[in-house]
Amino acid sequence: MYSRRDFLIRSTGFVTVSAMVPRWAVRGARQFEESVGAAFGGRTLVVLELAGGNDGLNTVVPYADALYPQLRSRIGVPVGDVLPLDGRLGLNPVMTGMKTLWDAGRVAVVTNVGYPNSSLSHFAARDVWHTADPLLAQRRGWLGRWADGALAGNGNPLSCAAISQSLPRTLLADHVGVPTFLTLASYQYLADGAHPGDSSNQIAAFLAASGAEYEIANAADTLSSVGRDAIASSDILQTVGNGYVAMGAYPQNSLGAGLELIAQIINADLGARILYVTYGGFDNHAGEDVDHDPLLTDVSSSIKAFFDDLDGHDKAHDVLLMTWSEFGRRAEDNGSNGTDHGTSAPHFVVGDAVVSGVHGNPPDLAHLDDNGNLAIESDFRSYYGTILSDWLGADSAAILGAGWPNLGFVEKGTT
Amino acid sequence: MSVNWTRESAAHLLRRAGFGGTPAEIDALHARGLEGAVSDLVDYEAVDVSAYEAALAARPYNLQRITGLQQWFMDRMAFSPRPLEEKMTYFWNLHWTSGIAKVRGETLLLNQNQTERRLAMARFDDLVVALSQDPAMLVWLDNATNRVGRPNENYARELMELFCLGIGHYGEEDVREVARALTGWTVANYNRDTGYNAATFVDRPQFHDEGSKTILGRTGNFDGYDAIDIILGHVDAEGSVSGRFLGAKLWAYFAGTYAPPHVVDALQSVYAADHSIREVVRAILLAPEFYEAHTRKSWVRSPVEYAVASVRMLEGTSDFSAAANALAGMGQVLFNPADAKGWDWGVSWMNTGSLFARASLANTLSTNRGAAGTRFDPAAILAGHDVSTPEGVVDALAGRLNVEDVAAEIRDAWIEYVLAGDGGAPGSWTNTPEAVDEKARGLVHVMLSSPAFHLA
Repeated sequence: MYSRRDFLIRSTGFVTVSAMVPRWAVRGARQFEESVGAAFGGRTLVVLELAGGNDGLNTVVPYADALYPQLRSRIGVPVGDVLPLDGRLGLNPVMTGMKTLWDAGRVAVVTNVGYPNSSLSHFAARDVWHTADPLLAQRRGWLGRWADGALAGNGNPLSCAAISQSLPRTLLADHVGVPTFLTLASYQYLADGAHPGDSSNQIAAFLAASGAEYEIANAADTLSSVGRDAIASSDILQTVGNGYVAMGAYPQNSLGAGLELIAQIINADLGARILYVTYGGFDNHAGEDVDHDPLLTDVSSSIKAFFDDLDGHDKAHDVLLMTWSEFGRRAEDNGSNGTDHGTSAPHFVVGDAVVSGVHGNPPDLAHLDDNGNLAIESDFRSYYGTILSDWLGADSAAILGAGWPNLGFVEKGTT
Repeated sequence: MSVNWTRESAAHLLRRAGFGGTPAEIDALHARGLEGAVSDLVDYEAVDVSAYEAALAARPYNLQRITGLQQWFMDRMAFSPRPLEEKMTYFWNLHWTSGIAKVRGETLLLNQNQTERRLAMARFDDLVVALSQDPAMLVWLDNATNRVGRPNENYARELMELFCLGIGHYGEEDVREVARALTGWTVANYNRDTGYNAATFVDRPQFHDEGSKTILGRTGNFDGYDAIDIILGHVDAEGSVSGRFLGAKLWAYFAGTYAPPHVVDALQSVYAADHSIREVVRAILLAPEFYEAHTRKSWVRSPVEYAVASVRMLEGTSDFSAAANALAGMGQVLFNPADAKGWDWGVSWMNTGSLFARASLANTLSTNRGAAGTRFDPAAILAGHDVSTPEGVVDALAGRLNVEDVAAEIRDAWIEYVLAGDGGAPGSWTNTPEAVDEKARGLVHVMLSSPAFHLA
């Protein structure tokens, strides 16, 4: 097996761009099927990042705990209004779409996920989650490390993709490129409209200028590989929306648009394994009483539309969606009708392969830490590891280190 | 160790302390010698900007709209006769930023930008106080709602983590206590009736926590000024913590590399004298290490710098509307960052989508043959160059864009491009106005979109 760089150098040399697309589309998809084995080869993981630190206590509400309305005297969810999951926890009442999926047995809620000695810095915490390393010694992302092992050299420029303004570090890999975009309208190398015959010359020259290799990896090296990845993925991505009819009612926001793009990529059978989308705005230090419910509405309705769409195209069985956020919020609300930075939080895993239910206990509001924050029940590496081993068929210990218990929220041996 | 002051050194200095230079600007700066060149840039108050300010004021930028603010700021970066003033204002915009999505009042962001320009080279303490009392910042990081008995930690945390000290130099207790000290610093007249544009800073004693606080080991009934004094006066075994933090970040910004420890030590010493930002910047631009080969072309231009440098170095004209429209796709909506940290620098600017967005903007600049908008004149910048051969065309344009140092194979590919006929058919170069118009424009587009020009 040769490296992605070798592949791209060989494949992009001076061949025309249009000639590249069918080659990988036919051969690349088959190569990667062989490389990962048939059982897991068709599966896609969708990662939804809730950026800013989502307030878990107002998302999955411990409505039966008498301490909840005391701690959340200003911005608490009225406990009579929650959508009960069981006798102790209920969804925020705006999350009706998620409740419908729950009722269909397609949702696992994993509670109190975090890591010891949590950083309350957004930026440190985000890097911890991206790299799965609280010591911040890992450069690559946790899924980037997986991709380097499982996907490198498969020839598919769309093994992973991010619907994001910047490449999420979760997917930072050494040998797998990640097409990154918010929309596809401008995802192509435009040239001089007055001289259409010169366009392929410009692309060839651009690729040649992106083809230099350096002894020591440097910024020019990275920019070069980005340039090659861009050209390699653009033509095929331009076509994914052709003739596509959405079968779900996506809300008019960037998350709905992002998940619709992801559904199009899945439906086009391009062999995408990891598809990533970011939705922001969760850092609700003030005015959470006004701002948070609309965000949860967007999350819930977008995920519901996404699975409706997949169902309509008979694609849902090969898709698992997971959420993460850099931290939860302080147990007690602050004087600005908001919440300050916290620690653990619940996360959602959605799909036909989940072991439906609540995995873990309700948050323990009676035993907060010295900063007034919630305790950790499940380490986030257990959360990741369960997905790596049971959904992606990976050796999770090799990626995360050993010793993280499997949380059992993914059915084994299904699909 | 001393600086080998060459024309390339001057071009490097102008790329880093400004937004790139034209050949004439580089020649003029080179002729001034190292100390003269650095002084011309750093002591910029000596440069008369009245004519430029008058011209800028006459341009139809709508400062009540965020796109207008973006155009106005990029115009300043491209055309102000004080490039380092704008480069430093831009540094503060990257380091200590606020966003329209939460602030809502465009005037508040304009005022913040003017504050950052006014104090760009001041004592750091003055800038820290001014930004801590800046209405946009008070709204953006919630200190406006930080009151006695109802503390809000958001600004206090970022003041230490992002702006002054860096993570690891304070504890959670300090975050809580600084928040208490900052209670009462809030805004007046922040309301919908005025489009959120009329807010002013106000210190409300009735909202201030009068209790005792302990910050970084010191205890007293501190207010916001005290907290800032303590934070900026914080020293450890290695000296001033804020001096090391600011010195290292300014070094990264100008030199495009991590600061070696001895450089951080030296910058900390300069800072320790009077907390002068200007003297730290001067020390950076005079440092031999700043001119070492590995610092060249190590800085990944941000989208804004990319848009500005391409126009400036081609002596183009622009109202920056195309650039403002391209900012979202390039990953940097100026005046609307996603969070308090602003944007990550370096290669994190670059992904496949943002690269296409840059290339599309470069295509607009390269192919606009009209009289308005973002454009340049290929014939004008080739005047005086021997363009009878494809090598001559490539070398003239590569020199103009400071990308003449690419690998030989890349230069060969550019020559091949100039020679290529439609669809890659074998062709030849004839120095006609038609050929220049097609191939010089095309070559500028290819060069601007290539890795070499994303690096400054």
